[in-house]
Amino acid sequence: MLTEELHTAALMLGEILHNSDVVQKYLKALADCEADPETADLEKRMRTIYEELLARQQRGENLQRSEIDDFNTLKRQVYQHPRIAEREASLIRVKQAFADIADDLNISLGTDFAALAQAGSV
Amino acid sequence: MSTQPSVSYIPPILPAAGDQTAVQAALALGKLLSDMPEYQAFLNALREVNNNAEVQRLSVKIREHNNALQWGKGDLLEHQSATEILQAELESLPSLRVYRQAEEVITHLFHAVDEVISQAAGVPFAANAKRSGCGCGG
Repeated sequence: MLTEELHTAALMLGEILHNSDVVQKYLKALADCEADPETADLEKRMRTIYEELLARQQRGENLQRSEIDDFNTLKRQVYQHPRIAEREASLIRVKQAFADIADDLNISLGTDFAALAQAGSV
Repeated sequence: MSTQPSVSYIPPILPAAGDQTAVQAALALGKLLSDMPEYQAFLNALREVNNNAEVQRLSVKIREHNNALQWGKGDLLEHQSATEILQAELESLPSLRVYRQAEEVITHLFHAVDEVISQAAGVPFAANAKRSGCGCGG
């Protein structure tokens, strides 16, 4: 579907982003998290508990205050973990950089590239 | 004469590219996309829809019913039913059908472009490029 010229230009932008400090730092932080069994376990526990609480709530069940408090304690523990905190902070910087680049793309287009591209994914 | 590269300039791939290089690549990509006949057809269809009196009339009515639903005014089922009928009427207008077709082509094209960017970047581009709108920089 893409012309060769368009494919080359998209590839070039992607490679420039990949080689940028901001993306490299995020990819390293992501790899560090994935390689650490402790962070993987913490996040898996948080996801499992969240999904379980949500499912029960959607069935109309009233959750105990202590269950919500326990979940919030685990959530704080997850986001205060140094590796996860580093990954999340570097992801925020990636989002800022990508949003700035998307703004430049939008200047040429006169429309919102990211919104239209995401609409095409459904 | 300006020393700035034109928007059609495609910079070389640098191992440690600075922000300016990424900006130039984004502008170049945007220029290529905006020159495509499919994109021009999309913009024309969008203009057509925006200038169509019947589209405007129906859109205003749909907004009125949506506002009533949002604020819980009147019979909610009636508002819902009216919204569905008006929306169907809107979608059946020839100019809107042309727009929807053009929009589908463009969203698929942009999605394909985004996939190439994201795969090369190693991080999803469009999904992370949307501003949250909360003013918190996220």
